[in-house]
Amino acid sequence: MPALETFPNAPVPTDKQLKARKNVFLQFARFIALNLKMVAMMNKGHH
Amino acid sequence: MARTVILGAGIAGHTAALHLRRMLPKEHAVVVVAPNSKWNWIPSNIWVGVGQMSVKQVTFPLAPIYQRKGIEFHQALGIELHPEGSPAQSRPHVTVQYTDPEKAGQIANLEYDFLINATGPKLNFGATPGLGPDGHTWSVCTAGHAVQTAQAFEEVIANLKAGKHQTLLIGMGHGTCTCQGAAFEYTFNVEHELVKEGVRDNADVIYITNENQLGDFGMDGMNFGHKDQIIPSQTFTESLFHERGVKAIMSAHIEKVEPGVAFYEQVDGTKNSQAFDFAMLLPPFRGVDMKAFDANDNDITAEVFAPSGFMKVDADYTAKPYEEWKASDWPKTYQSVKYDNVWAAGIAFAPPHQMSRPRTSPNGTVIAPAPPRTGMPSGVIGRAVAQSIAERIKYGAQGKVHTASMADMGAACIASAGKGWRTGQAAAMTVFPIIPDKEKYGELGRDTKETYGEIGLSAHWMKVMLHYLFIYKAKARPFWYLIPE
Repeated sequence: MPALETFPNAPVPTDKQLKARKNVFLQFARFIALNLKMVAMMNKGHH
Repeated sequence: MARTVILGAGIAGHTAALHLRRMLPKEHAVVVVAPNSKWNWIPSNIWVGVGQMSVKQVTFPLAPIYQRKGIEFHQALGIELHPEGSPAQSRPHVTVQYTDPEKAGQIANLEYDFLINATGPKLNFGATPGLGPDGHTWSVCTAGHAVQTAQAFEEVIANLKAGKHQTLLIGMGHGTCTCQGAAFEYTFNVEHELVKEGVRDNADVIYITNENQLGDFGMDGMNFGHKDQIIPSQTFTESLFHERGVKAIMSAHIEKVEPGVAFYEQVDGTKNSQAFDFAMLLPPFRGVDMKAFDANDNDITAEVFAPSGFMKVDADYTAKPYEEWKASDWPKTYQSVKYDNVWAAGIAFAPPHQMSRPRTSPNGTVIAPAPPRTGMPSGVIGRAVAQSIAERIKYGAQGKVHTASMADMGAACIASAGKGWRTGQAAAMTVFPIIPDKEKYGELGRDTKETYGEIGLSAHWMKVMLHYLFIYKAKARPFWYLIPE
């Protein structure tokens, strides 16, 4: 097996995706959504 | 009056102590034994290790918190367990050795009615010659280690600025390591800092791991549900490695480290070496070196603890191949197999097997990521054990036994990939359940609606928020118990 691997065939994010990852307004909405998602998941798994 | 002794004040032990104190009337004693005087929010050590946080920001002294809450605290190391008492002392007790500077080295026997073993791992740097801060590599396992690592990283940046090429090797220091997530985080925080300092072009960042594929994380990989698609964590992770130009050495067991060079074997049996200017390699974990004795002082360590040093609990430890592993093999109550007033919480319990398929090289070298059980599962288990003990104290045998199987529990993991309010990035991942359950969820083993991954600035904000939230909770500030584990 190769000693050092690179991942040339892995998908790379588009410019649009990279900008979206850093857009403060969009990311604030994602922050709220992620929080809600995680709280729901935690509640499901806690006994 | 009942006396509960908790060995360890990490996420599991500290969570159990605070909940137990909250749930029990004051006449019942809650006693914590921990060798360190300070609590450490370990997930933020990666930021200390790149010089972006100070030790003070990730630690605080335990004694004032315990004094305020009415918890008895001994800064000491548990060394012997006497669950049936001993010829000299009839009641169950633990023998401890003080690390408190005022009593350093003194031995004491602490009696208990109920015991929680939450000792966490022993950082087994000795498993790989030359590994660790006493050898030739750095670590972020403790806040102290992370400070040393940050100093070494500063030198790397200075060398790069002076025009010297540098190779940074980050990852797993042994074929049986766990905590790939922490190494992943440190890799991308280092890369992020190199970019910020304008020296990335002259540096090679290499991730070395015992994972068979990127994105395994010791959890047999994950499959993220995204709209109507399934994205394997391998694709998700390889994409980040490609985007950030990080190379990887896969399925590797590091045999030894000499100054500036790591010697490793891969799962196909090939042996190779990698030169480095800076290496942060995590050690494998094993249980702390605690012995157990019966009423006649006969050594019963092998009955109470697994060969790995972790405590045997209500799991199915029957040896079986990967194909026959089941979610039901994993423990639910975390009660000791031998004593019904002893529990093991967090990393201290012996897992029945790995989650990822273990592999062996043609030379017989085992390359098998150990199952992660840090962070969220540790906290949830700590609380469930505290609830079971509180019920037992209040209602005797009629008390409810609380369960917290990792096969019924989800986990959230925020893996930082760089710090900064506007420039930061992290991968937010949720997984449900932690232990794959192919009987319930089919071949993918998990609920793909609840198993999710996303990269962005928002995930970095979450990581920062969790840092402050969990330190607030650990300090037992008002309404701390409303913050979930």
